[in-house]
Amino acid sequence: MTLSEGVPGTVYKVLDVQEEASIERRLAALGLISGTNITLLNKKKKGAVIFSVRGTRFAIGKVIADGILVEVTN
Amino acid sequence: MKEELNIGFIGNPNCGKTTLFNAYTGAKLKVANWPGVTVEKKEGAMKYHEHLFKLVDLPGIYSLTSYTMEEKVSRNYILSDDVDVIIDVVDASALERNLYLTLQLIELGKPVVLALNMMDIVEERGMEIDMHRLPEMLGIPAIGVSARKKTGLEILMHAASHHKDHSTPDNLVHQHKSDKESKHVHNHHEEYAMVYSDLIEDKIDLIIEELQTHYPHLTNFRWHAIKLLEMDPEIMEKYPINRPDIIDRSYEKDIINQKYDFIEEIIEEVVVNKSKQVATTDKIDNLLTHRFLGLPIFLGIMAIVFFLTFTVGDYLKGYLEILLEWISGGATAGLEAVGAHPMLISLIVDGIIAGVGGILTFLPNIFILFLALAFLEDSGYMSRVAYVMDGIMGKIGLSGRAFIPMLLGFGCTVPAVMASRTLENRRDRLKTMLVTPFMSCSARLPIYVLFSEMFFKEHAMLVAYSMYVIGIVVAILVAFIMSRVEQVGSENSLLIELPEYKAPNARSIAIYVWEKIRDYLTKAGTTIFIASVIMWMISNIGPTGFVTDMSESFAASIGKVLVPIFTPIGLGHWQIVVALISGIAAKEIVVASCGVLYGIGNINSEQGMSDIVTLLAATGFGAVNAYALMVFCLLYVPCAATIATIKKESDSRKYTLCAVAFQLGVAWLMAFLVYQVGRLL
Repeated sequence: MTLSEGVPGTVYKVLDVQEEASIERRLAALGLISGTNITLLNKKKKGAVIFSVRGTRFAIGKVIADGILVEVTN
Repeated sequence: MKEELNIGFIGNPNCGKTTLFNAYTGAKLKVANWPGVTVEKKEGAMKYHEHLFKLVDLPGIYSLTSYTMEEKVSRNYILSDDVDVIIDVVDASALERNLYLTLQLIELGKPVVLALNMMDIVEERGMEIDMHRLPEMLGIPAIGVSARKKTGLEILMHAASHHKDHSTPDNLVHQHKSDKESKHVHNHHEEYAMVYSDLIEDKIDLIIEELQTHYPHLTNFRWHAIKLLEMDPEIMEKYPINRPDIIDRSYEKDIINQKYDFIEEIIEEVVVNKSKQVATTDKIDNLLTHRFLGLPIFLGIMAIVFFLTFTVGDYLKGYLEILLEWISGGATAGLEAVGAHPMLISLIVDGIIAGVGGILTFLPNIFILFLALAFLEDSGYMSRVAYVMDGIMGKIGLSGRAFIPMLLGFGCTVPAVMASRTLENRRDRLKTMLVTPFMSCSARLPIYVLFSEMFFKEHAMLVAYSMYVIGIVVAILVAFIMSRVEQVGSENSLLIELPEYKAPNARSIAIYVWEKIRDYLTKAGTTIFIASVIMWMISNIGPTGFVTDMSESFAASIGKVLVPIFTPIGLGHWQIVVALISGIAAKEIVVASCGVLYGIGNINSEQGMSDIVTLLAATGFGAVNAYALMVFCLLYVPCAATIATIKKESDSRKYTLCAVAFQLGVAWLMAFLVYQVGRLL
């Protein structure tokens, strides 16, 4: 599933990041890489989300959220 | 011995670099709680014992690649010989993310000192950081400071001055977990903080050999080798090596992953009680970024801001008007008593006091507006607005982030245009710069307050509000039409950090508001003063010399030439035309000029207003004309300072000229519609 399909309040593990090269790099610099756990905090109907990764919150638009593939952690 | 030391402050956005820089230099640079406040490097100086330290505050960045403007600026500055020591400012309460930049900085091979900022917040949260273990793992000194509470500042400078020659790590005591079974020929753990997997270390060794042969003068082979493995475009171009067998692909991802693996190890060993997170921010966010309530809450907040600006501001303005009237009367009486020439009295009373004084009475409105904006910026709400507005902005082909410059535009267009620099691509930046001036800035406020009070009496506030709404609607409409014309699929890539909310800091708010008030006063004392004098001169002197009838003055001749252009929009009076032209210097001057041109000493007073209304009514200038005037003032060319800023930020004379022409056209068209439709009602 993609991050934009997630449910707020859930912790997800990032499986893959499929973005335009420049965005992928910026996300990687923030520590959002395969294997990282992220918490989905908020979501808008259109798919923009707020999540936290490594102790910091970020807001991203739908296009970026669609490119982050995640699975629910146990 | 006296020594000079150049110290560069670097760190992630919003980690408190500028606050720390201000604490040292006594500078009053703007700080706020949203990422990207510092857009260009700022220099300052301080004395440390008998030494002179030069400090440089760099824009906040997350990494040291060469893909964004800020990162390139910071990286090239650090690589240059201009810097002796780097102080890496990190937010100690978000160490995990901040350390990534730290590892990159250490790799650069310059002396680095780690400043763990916000130690007060770390303590508040009950977290602890092992200050003994952290330097052992990184090989650089780590000093806990609090820029806000001004603790640890002396110790940090002490460390910086002692560490200036240490470009290799000292006291490294660590072994990466993943490297237990390393079979690499060298044990790098005593040399480098960051050691990669055998695969990458082998490649680094080979590339270093290659670099040593081809570029023997290079200073930091390891860093260049790593950059080549990452296929960094800038380094590949400068120092190409032809070894596709080693660099068979970009190892950037592997390198990032391994850095973060190491960071996780550091956090595990160094941070105690890290699970104790504050939930306050999340709770506030649940409300402020709520999917349905977020937008109404934002609109409500803005309504309150403008309500306070107009009502409370107007109440206080009343007192200043009384004071001004008293000064004006006193000056006339005093000057007459000493037998001053009537011309001099006229210059001082009708020119300077009417022009400058008229503007100064708006100080309370301006003060309240900026106070409110300071609260919004300092609390951390600003980046939430970017999220809340992202959907709407997406429809007009911009990311939610572009809304921050537009919102700042309510205060002053100049910093707002500069803030557009934080947007990712040039197309978005240019678009934002074009529409930001439509957001009604504080300099336009005196015009609305004056004309709406004169012509709309009890509906004055509603009319003034409507200007803000028209400004926003025009900005959005223009952006929308542009996105349709361009037909470029908007990638709409909002990506912004949401900082922790914090109670607004009295000091940073005071600095912020004082800066703005000082600017306003300076402007009143310089630009507006000079414009008032010029206005008085050209309206009292004509081809025949000193004229008693202003319609024979130079001002009248200039105005009359342009009257035909302004007649279709209901502004075909030479006085108004001249006032509008003078408004290009600064928008407040429109009010000052009206005072001078209509020969009314205190244009804001009851008497002054009714005088001017009578004067204007006699020439057929009524409420519809006044509304058209306000709309024109809202939309036409921003002040000279804005034009200069647009030129600087766009780096294109053509774009700047087009933007100015476009804004003039839009203003004329909108005023035309207002006047022609309004006349029929």
